[in-house]
Amino acid sequence: MDAIRIPPPAELDALEDEHFRQVVRAFLHANYPEDLRNPPKRLHWAENKGWYLRLAEAGWLCPGWPKENGGLGLSPAKQIILTEEYERHGVARTNDHGIVMLGPLVIKYGTEEQKQRFLPKILTGEHIWCQGYSEPGAGSDLAALRTEAVLDGDHYVVNGQKIWTTLAMDANWIFLLVRTDKAAKKQEGISFLLVDMQTPGITVRPIINLEMHDEFCEVFFDNVRVPKENLVGQLNKGWDMAKALLGFERIFLGSPRQSAYALSRLKILAERMGVWEEPAFQDRYARLRLDLEDLKALYGTYVDRLKRGESLGPDVSMLKILQTELFQAITDAMLEIAGENAGLMEPMEGNRDLNIGGLYIQARPATIYGGSNEIQRNILSKNVLGMPG
Amino acid sequence: MSAAETDDRAESIRMIRDSAAAVAPRGGDLKRVRDLRWQDPGFDAGLFRQMGEMGWIGLRVPEALGGAGLGVAEMCGLAEELGAGLVPEPLIPCALSAQLLAACGGKGRLPALLAGDAVVLTAWQERADTLEVPGSPDAPRRFLPMAAGADVFLLPLREGGRLALYELPAERCAPAVERTQDGGNLGTLQPNLQDATKLADDVGTALADALDEAALVTAAYLLGGMERAFAMTLDYLKTRQQFGKIIGTFQALQHRAADVRMQVALTRASIDSAAAALDAGAAGDARRAAVSRAKARAAEASLRVTRECIQLHGGIGYTDDYDAGLYLRKAMVLANQYGSASLHRRRFMAASPEVEE
Ligand SMILES: Cc1cc2nc3c(=O)[nH]c(=O)nc-3n(C[C@H](O)[C@H](O)[C@H](O)COP(=O)(O)OP(=O)(O)OC[C@H]3O[C@@H](n4cnc5c(N)ncnc54)[C@H](O)[C@@H]3O)c2cc1C
Repeated sequence: MDAIRIPPPAELDALEDEHFRQVVRAFLHANYPEDLRNPPKRLHWAENKGWYLRLAEAGWLCPGWPKENGGLGLSPAKQIILTEEYERHGVARTNDHGIVMLGPLVIKYGTEEQKQRFLPKILTGEHIWCQGYSEPGAGSDLAALRTEAVLDGDHYVVNGQKIWTTLAMDANWIFLLVRTDKAAKKQEGISFLLVDMQTPGITVRPIINLEMHDEFCEVFFDNVRVPKENLVGQLNKGWDMAKALLGFERIFLGSPRQSAYALSRLKILAERMGVWEEPAFQDRYARLRLDLEDLKALYGTYVDRLKRGESLGPDVSMLKILQTELFQAITDAMLEIAGENAGLMEPMEGNRDLNIGGLYIQARPATIYGGSNEIQRNILSKNVLGMPG
Repeated sequence: MSAAETDDRAESIRMIRDSAAAVAPRGGDLKRVRDLRWQDPGFDAGLFRQMGEMGWIGLRVPEALGGAGLGVAEMCGLAEELGAGLVPEPLIPCALSAQLLAACGGKGRLPALLAGDAVVLTAWQERADTLEVPGSPDAPRRFLPMAAGADVFLLPLREGGRLALYELPAERCAPAVERTQDGGNLGTLQPNLQDATKLADDVGTALADALDEAALVTAAYLLGGMERAFAMTLDYLKTRQQFGKIIGTFQALQHRAADVRMQVALTRASIDSAAAALDAGAAGDARRAAVSRAKARAAEASLRVTRECIQLHGGIGYTDDYDAGLYLRKAMVLANQYGSASLHRRRFMAASPEVEE
């Protein structure tokens, strides 16, 4: 194979798609740490810092950001190719909330001063962000959030609690949805605030999840003073801004790669368990495989729409539902054919990728986060099908 | 059975269930269970002894051999209560060993086992997802539940056309132990025949029968667990508010809860009828069909129900602090023990000829 030259970051967006794909593969081969491929759990900063900084150094950290902000300026279609190749290679997620959520939001709604202040620090890995939206009383009904920010001179004083904040223990900044007007309709009294986690009055308490991993946290705010200029966008317009980010999140949650990975594990496991040749298993596998192929085809139609520069409607919820439930169905099948191995904590001996119980557990929250599948179905039935009520 | 006998029987089952409260208090918390997780041996030896004193290990062993001489329905009732409390002590595999030793006339360590002084595990399994016992002399025995706490192993060995039974002290052949999702462990034993003492010449039938019962009792344990997890979920649906409403008012969730309820009802009906069949002396294919039907149902339903319970809770269901996850993990471990749903479906079809209309 001819060695593929990796062009400077500024030239990547101009490459033809297939060539770009080859470049991404070559980049991963040359740069991605072998021992971090397909890690069984979400990595902490201490574990993925090396890779994050390598990406930063190469200028590859923020594929979706415009070039003038230090990104690669890739089209949505190219970003999807990049994601596909990352997933194919087994690249772990980094502490990416600054890259995929906060950065794009600041680019779209932030002041020039805010862009200067925050974007470069994401690009160097100096600021690691986490997402403080959900609260104990505000999950599916996010607009019911109660953490409040009250103006006191040049500062907002924040009081309240966030929960399920992924990797908050690794982050030094948090972006918050806070209530700034208690009298208004609930969506209309919410603002978007950036908070340095070193500020006095913030307490982070890790929560152990079902993977027995400290991945999400509770974050408490007790009279936390936040400079006024850390408010992004207009006062009381935080809800609209946060919502604008969601559509893009959903197509990424609908990427079939997670299911494709699980299906490849199912095949290995079936061979190992001696059931691969069984007609009953073949039928079940074929059904899952076809579900995957059809999901890919459906996903492709959305990618094409993005390529044509169209924006996606609420029907993108379908992708999120189909992908996450397929992922679960595959891990269910793994559990069912694994016999007693299904109950083991560690991967099956002889294959560190065959982490049956781990994958089964990991697949559970996919139907909860990013808008639960019940909420996605509500969106489909109301906003797409026009059901009354 | 006469009406009076039926009443007596129901009373006996009720008493056994009530006695389980000593170990797994109804409505009690799961602190004890949590504290034992992933701590060798994964259970409390003192409590195992208490189970012996209460007559549970020998519940199915004839009175003449020191057991309680009770029926399968009593054993299932007990297991259900223990499942609701996620009791980790290895009652089911030890009761299997007790039945096996009783079948050979009360040999070996039966008295110590019945008293709960010795944890005796039967090392019958040579591969995953099977109920077959090849009895190979040198094959490692796999998936021994709570092997980290075993005192004695019973080793079935093929000799000629028969399965002989040997006893092996655990201190002479420490098993390799792997941790399981529920906080327990599974052992692999490399049999060392030099240290084995022969107990009996032919235990093939007794072992097959005991494995059947263990499968059914495991189904009952799973039933207890899924019912408790579902009760917890119903409570949550009736109290958690979002969008200014109790989430249980959303019809999408109401239907999901109704579906779960039906799975629980089917599982209970399947187990109760199987236990009744065994107590009435069902043998051969009829017995195998009844057991396999119940275990297939319980395995599938317990996984499905516990998954639903997590989903219906939202984020809190995905935390280790919340108990719903403990039931999910237990189902992951037990669903396939003594045969997966798929194994039992196959076995059912082999044992149960189609009824001609
Ligand atoms: C692994 C993980 C990581 C997360 N990371 C973050 C993070 O970094 N930052 C952050 O802010 N949040 C995060 N979350 C929170 C996530 O967004 C919420 O868990 C989710 O929005 C659901 O809210 P909830 O947990 O309060 O459940 P609830 O909203 O209480 O839902 C409970 C159940 O009711 C159902 N339900 C609710 N309303 C309706 C309705 N109207 N119709 C039908 N069914 C309904 C739900 O689908 C669910 O089954 C994370 C969650 C998980 C599991």
